Amino acid sequence: MRLVEWEELEIGVFNCAGTVYAIEDRCSHDNGTLVEGDLDQEACTIECPRHGSLFDLKTGRPLTLPAYVPVDTYPVIIEDKTIKLEVE
Amino acid sequence: MAVELTENQQLAAINADYEERYGFHDAENYLYKAPKGLNREIVEKISEFKSEPQWMRDFRLKALDHFLSRPQPNWGSPLLAEVDYNDIHYFVRASEKPGRSWDDVPEDVKRTFDRLGIPEAERKFLAGVGAQYESEVVYHQVREDLEKQGVIFVDMDSGLREHEDLVREYFATVIPPNDNKLAALNSAVWSGGSFVYVPEGVHVEMPLQAYFRINTENMGQFERTLIIAEPGSYVHYVEGCTAPTYSSNSLHSAVVELIAKPGARIRYTTVQNWSTNVFNLVTKRAVAQEDATVEWVDCNLGSRLTMKYPSVYLMGERAHGEILSIAFAGKGQHQDAGGKIIHAAPNTTSNIFAKSISKDGGRGSYRGLLEIAKGAHGARSKVVCDALLLDEHSRSDTYPTIRIGEDDVNVGHEATVSKVGEDQLFYLMSHGIPEDEASKLIVNGFIEPITKELPMEYAVEMNRLIELQMEGSIG
Repeated sequence: MRLVEWEELEIGVFNCAGTVYAIEDRCSHDNGTLVEGDLDQEACTIECPRHGSLFDLKTGRPLTLPAYVPVDTYPVIIEDKTIKLEVE
Repeated sequence: MAVELTENQQLAAINADYEERYGFHDAENYLYKAPKGLNREIVEKISEFKSEPQWMRDFRLKALDHFLSRPQPNWGSPLLAEVDYNDIHYFVRASEKPGRSWDDVPEDVKRTFDRLGIPEAERKFLAGVGAQYESEVVYHQVREDLEKQGVIFVDMDSGLREHEDLVREYFATVIPPNDNKLAALNSAVWSGGSFVYVPEGVHVEMPLQAYFRINTENMGQFERTLIIAEPGSYVHYVEGCTAPTYSSNSLHSAVVELIAKPGARIRYTTVQNWSTNVFNLVTKRAVAQEDATVEWVDCNLGSRLTMKYPSVYLMGERAHGEILSIAFAGKGQHQDAGGKIIHAAPNTTSNIFAKSISKDGGRGSYRGLLEIAKGAHGARSKVVCDALLLDEHSRSDTYPTIRIGEDDVNVGHEATVSKVGEDQLFYLMSHGIPEDEASKLIVNGFIEPITKELPMEYAVEMNRLIELQMEGSIG
C-alpha cells in the first residue's frame, strides 16, 4: 500500500495479489482515511479503520454499511516498472 | 386532591408489580459461568464452547481488539460512565442445546418462561418462538408448515452451524464490528439471538417471537440477530425482554441486522421491560432494497439507561422505512431513544414517530438522524417527536439531525413538548374519574397512535405496562 498526493487529492494505491488499484483515500461515511485499514488481498478490499465499512478496491463501492456512497477510483497504468495514475 | 408520595414510596410503587411479575430470579444451576471480566481467553472459550469455524473465532478476536482500543462514547448519557465492563459475566450457559419441545428445557428455566406466559402465547398466536435465558437460547420452535416452505427460524448459534454459507455472506455486513464500541463488544462475545431467513414470496402471516431473559446478577447478554427477507417476502418478528431487579448492574448489548430484498417487508417489534438495573445499549440497523419496506416498532420501558436508535438505509428506489418509538423514563432512568433513516435512492419515503413520557425525574431523549443523499430525488420524509412530562422534575431533550443533499425532496419535522395539564385532569376528574385514572387515560391517549400498530396481544400488554409505570405517579 502506498499513499500518494496530487494537488488536493489523496489516493491509496494497493497491490491485490499482483494487480494494482488506486482509490480515493477517504471513507464516504465520515471522511476518515482508508489506507490505515486492513487490506484483504484475496478479496481485494480495504476496511475503513474507523467504522468498519469494507470497500471494493476495483470499483470503490462499499460492500458493507455504514458507508453507502462509492469512493472515486483511478485508472492505473504500469509503464517501464513505473506505476502511473490517471487523475483527470 | 394530589397525594404527595415520598421518593421511596414512588420507587416502591414502580417496582412493586415488576418484582412480582418479572423481578423473580431462579437458583443458578449452570453448566458454565465465566468469571467476571473480558479477555482473549474468554472470547476463545465462547468460540470453543460453540465449536465455531475458524473465521468466526478470528472475527471475534479482531472485534475484541476494536472494543478494547476504543474509548467509551462521550455522548448520549452521563450514566454511561457507570458501566463497568470488568464487573460483568460475559457468558453463562444454562442448557446443553436449544430444545424443540418445552419438555427438553431445564425445569426451573421452563418454569420461568411459564411464568412469563411464553408457551401459552406460542399456542395462541405465534408462528414460532425462541426463548433465550442468559447467554443462550434454551428453546426454539417454528411451525412445521413454515419450515416446509423453507422458512428458517433458529437461534443464531444453530444458524451458524446449520447455514454457515448464508450466515457468512450476510453477517456483519449491515453492522460491522467496529461500527461502534458496543457493536465491537457484541461481535466479540455474541451468543444467542435469532437467525431468520424467509424465502422469496413467502409471507409469514403470524409473528415470530423471541424472548430474552437475564437471570444472573452482573450478567451481560449479547444476542445477535440477523433477518434476511428474500424478494417479495414478509415477516414480523417480535421480541420481549425482562430481568430480575438487583442492586448491581447488568448489561444488555445486542446487535440486530435486517436485510429486506426487493419488494420484501420486515416489521420488527420490541416490547422491552428491563429492570431498572440493566444498561441497554443496542445497535439495530436495516437495509431496504428497491420497493422494500422495513418498520421498527420500538417500545422502551425499564432499564437504567437505554441508548438505541434503530436505523433504516433505504438503498433501492421506492423503498420505505418507518420507525415508531415509545420511551417511558421513570425515576433514575434515562431513555435515549430515537431512530435514523438514510435515503440513499430516489423516490424513497420514510416516517419517524417518536413519543417519550418522563415522570418522577426521569429523562427521555429523542435522538434522530434523517439523511437524504445526493441523487435521492423525490424522497419524502416526516419526523414527528412528541414528549410528555408528567411532573416538574422530569426532563425531555430532542436532538434531531437533518442532512439534505438534494433539492427535489419533501421533508417535514415537528416536535412538541407538553405537560399533563391541570385543565385536562380537571376535565376528566369533573366527570368522576379519579386523578390517577385520568393521568393514565391521558398517557394512553398520547401513545395510542403507536400502540395501535402493535398486534392486539402486545397492545394490551403495552397499555398494562404503561399503567404499571404510572402507579404512584399521582399529582
